[in-house]
Amino acid sequence: MNYRQFIVSQSLILMAGSMIFPFYVLLLRNVGDSYSQFGWAYGLFALTSALAYPVIGRLADRSGDRALLLFYSMAMAVLLLLFPLVTSTWQVYVLQMFMGVLGAVQKNTEKAALVRKADKKQAGAHMGRYHFWTSIAAAAAVIATGYLVDFLTIATIFYIASLLYAISGLIIWKGRKTTD
Amino acid sequence: MKKGLFICLYGALFTTSFYLYNHGYSDPNVQDAGRLLPAQVKMIKQADGEKELVKTVENANRTGSQLTIAGMQHSQGGQTYYPGAVMIDTKPFHKVIDFQPEKKRITVQSGATWDDIQQYINPYGLAVKVMQSQNIFTVGGSLSVNVHGRDIRNESLIDTVESFRLLKPDGTIVRVSRKENADLFPYVIGGYGLFGIILDVTLSLTEDELYEKRTSELDYSEYSSYFREQVKENPEVKMHLARISVAPSSFLQNMYVTDYIKVESQQRLNDYRKLKGEGIVALPKFFLGMSRYSNWGKDLLWAAQKHYMLEEDGSLESRNNVMRSQTDFMKYESPTRTEILQEYFVPVNEFASYIEDMRELLKKEEEFNLLNITIRYVEQSEQAVLSYAKEDMFALVLLINQGKSKQEVKESEAVIRDMIDVTLNHGGSYYLPYYSFPSKKQLRQAYPLIDMFFEKKREIDPEKRFTNYFYEEYGE
Repeated sequence: MNYRQFIVSQSLILMAGSMIFPFYVLLLRNVGDSYSQFGWAYGLFALTSALAYPVIGRLADRSGDRALLLFYSMAMAVLLLLFPLVTSTWQVYVLQMFMGVLGAVQKNTEKAALVRKADKKQAGAHMGRYHFWTSIAAAAAVIATGYLVDFLTIATIFYIASLLYAISGLIIWKGRKTTD
Repeated sequence: MKKGLFICLYGALFTTSFYLYNHGYSDPNVQDAGRLLPAQVKMIKQADGEKELVKTVENANRTGSQLTIAGMQHSQGGQTYYPGAVMIDTKPFHKVIDFQPEKKRITVQSGATWDDIQQYINPYGLAVKVMQSQNIFTVGGSLSVNVHGRDIRNESLIDTVESFRLLKPDGTIVRVSRKENADLFPYVIGGYGLFGIILDVTLSLTEDELYEKRTSELDYSEYSSYFREQVKENPEVKMHLARISVAPSSFLQNMYVTDYIKVESQQRLNDYRKLKGEGIVALPKFFLGMSRYSNWGKDLLWAAQKHYMLEEDGSLESRNNVMRSQTDFMKYESPTRTEILQEYFVPVNEFASYIEDMRELLKKEEEFNLLNITIRYVEQSEQAVLSYAKEDMFALVLLINQGKSKQEVKESEAVIRDMIDVTLNHGGSYYLPYYSFPSKKQLRQAYPLIDMFFEKKREIDPEKRFTNYFYEEYGE
């Protein structure tokens, strides 16, 4: 995987992620109906993330960043297909726990990959450039999604986000042959 | 190789998910605008076309499923759904089928909203005769609750309907008008979806006109005579609405009234014909928000509303635009509370004494969070079996903020039943699309023909294919 492919795939992931996270609340509101349920949903996400980090860290060193990022994209693509079908709060909780684990995979691996790719002397500038491009993608996605939700259903954004994850996964997959 | 496998697998999962989602994945949760009756329905069936609707009814007859019909779901007592029943969502069924501008007549599918119709007919200089003040509702839903609105010259919606086609519980389709299958006409309109699915409706239209708003301030005691002399007697007044204060400093005393008067120079209509959209809602939303939480907020809202309306005195607006009132600012989202409506009809001559009795009752109910009362007028119209306008009536719409817990619903119920008693004592009536607060006895008193209505329901639909909360609560 070369650097450009890495950026593109990570941008897509961030785009997809920022598409669903803010608007995810809309789904929760359709399903659950109290703020404490919001709290639990996000709390469970953070908690499973926390528990997953140490394991994932070790795994990343052993099986490589690319494999984990690939796993992350594919798993998210599939997981998001379940969201439109959610009808009760417990299902949201379960999905949130899976998302928590996957979120940890992404964060940890993304950072590890960046560190490995970065020239140590210019790591700061490198990170800056990386975050610039991926954050631009994220911002564009949030704004555009705001309009999308008005016109389409919330389910649609989950499907679109799922497709974005799948595409980002395929880019990482393709990258295997060219470099690495 | 593996990549191809993943793409195939992902594609299959995607399609499955999308299919399940579109076919109303099992037991979806639904609730209506009242937000007091969340329920799991068997499935939500989109009304994709006439054939599909017939098939849905036939399938239900075969499988024994029950059906309910939903439009915008602004009825608040579960009139559009029932636990375990299939909910038919009519919104996708919204085409204009026929339009004859020279005859001022339009035929639309029942999922069309008033907005759809307005957009369609406005370029031809035509307007709807009777509809709600807001245009977000579907025509089918509006027929099922036989609405009325700001218009004071065309009675209720039923009076503007030429004919409609009804998909009956046995799966057959009939045309219903005052001549064909005439026995069904007064039952299906104002029939709360209990007689089958209204497929399409032919409505008679009127000309779009330019009105001047005339707003003035009144004491409640002057209102009846003002209305009789200044409004009813003046044929140029086409629409009317009023508000009575719910602010503590002028509670059920102070009013303002707005009349829409046809202006002489109708050539200027062209300058005002462009249909308005939702304006900026932040300010009204803020004032309404303040009034929810405090008495001074209520005083502030009343002062602001009155000021705004008096400021608008003398301004011009097209008929179509008068019937496109804002709704977005009323959207209210709270996990524990909701906003409900009540509507009471009281004979014009009874108004002052009625308000006095209501004031006495409500002064004792300090916990009862009444946010707004608007008043409109409905002319006597007894075409519908469940008619609410047994004579010329003022219609008072009450907006109430209340908690969603069982206890809080009970507390509201007590106050609302008392208010209905006061209304009935003045020869009045109440509107049925709301939550089942009223007792069966009150229903009987307000709607003396209710037993006949339910009997007809059982005659047309002996298997109870169509049902809803309203029927299960009062009709069984």
